[in-house]
Amino acid sequence: MAYSEKVLDHYENPRNVGTLDKESEDVGTGLVGAPACGDVMRLQIKVGDDGLIEDAKFKTFGCGSAIASSSLATEWLKGKSVDEAETIKNSMIAEELNLPPVKIHCSVLAEDAIKSAVADYRAKQAARRAAAKG
Amino acid sequence: MSADPFTLLGLEPRFELDAAALEQRHRELSRALHPDKYAQAPAAERRMALSRAIEVNEAARALRDPVKRAEALARRAGIAVGETVEPKPPGALLMEMMESREALAEATAARDVAAVTKLGDGVRARQRRVEAELATAFEGGEASRVLPLLGELRYLRRFLEEVDAFEETLLG
Repeated sequence: MAYSEKVLDHYENPRNVGTLDKESEDVGTGLVGAPACGDVMRLQIKVGDDGLIEDAKFKTFGCGSAIASSSLATEWLKGKSVDEAETIKNSMIAEELNLPPVKIHCSVLAEDAIKSAVADYRAKQAARRAAAKG
Repeated sequence: MSADPFTLLGLEPRFELDAAALEQRHRELSRALHPDKYAQAPAAERRMALSRAIEVNEAARALRDPVKRAEALARRAGIAVGETVEPKPPGALLMEMMESREALAEATAARDVAAVTKLGDGVRARQRRVEAELATAFEGGEASRVLPLLGELRYLRRFLEEVDAFEETLLG
């Protein structure tokens, strides 16, 4: 399979690989997988007091397109609000990376990972507010 | 995948496949379809035999692979397989696979052969258990268990491919 130049760039120089403390209240973690290819992707966001995403990290075990999709997602997430993060669509990732049809599911995985990280962050905030109320 | 590989090779559709029977059947069919046998045949017949021979090779390759064999059996049972139709893997499996892939990545980066071997042995043992469970699920017609087990098997295989790749770098 011929990868696009943008995919190769993210594959060879992945941005924001790493881990954030998943126990931390201001960190949301998304863990998703593609059963048909055995890929697993973890994407994390750290949200500042101003409600903006100040850091994003990922770790993906999968093909080049899956790595590139999650790498690009972390780049896009930084500086966005949580609401804006949710507007990132797989089609935007697929278009930016010129993913061929058979690799579209990699961008779907990245969108799932963003949604799942945001949901985790929101659940933590809701739990914190509930605890504060007593 | 075009035709069903079990049908193509004339083998009983079972997950627990008799490996010797598969190889024997593959040899017989390859011999029967060999281009030498068609040297005097009309061009159309020669082409037909050649494409059949290719299909037979593909089918044999698919049936040797437990994942592809399970996919073929699932299709026969009317269970759709593929990226967009399969259920999402359970969180516990993903967490486990993320942890074990990270442990493997650390061990291979450190070229810690003992650690890689230990991780590989553990996953291989689990692969055997999952394959046994898949066989039971197919025999018992437990369709709902097939896709979760098949998904797990693919994750284990991907892990073992990494182990194999590491072992190859040691030999190289």
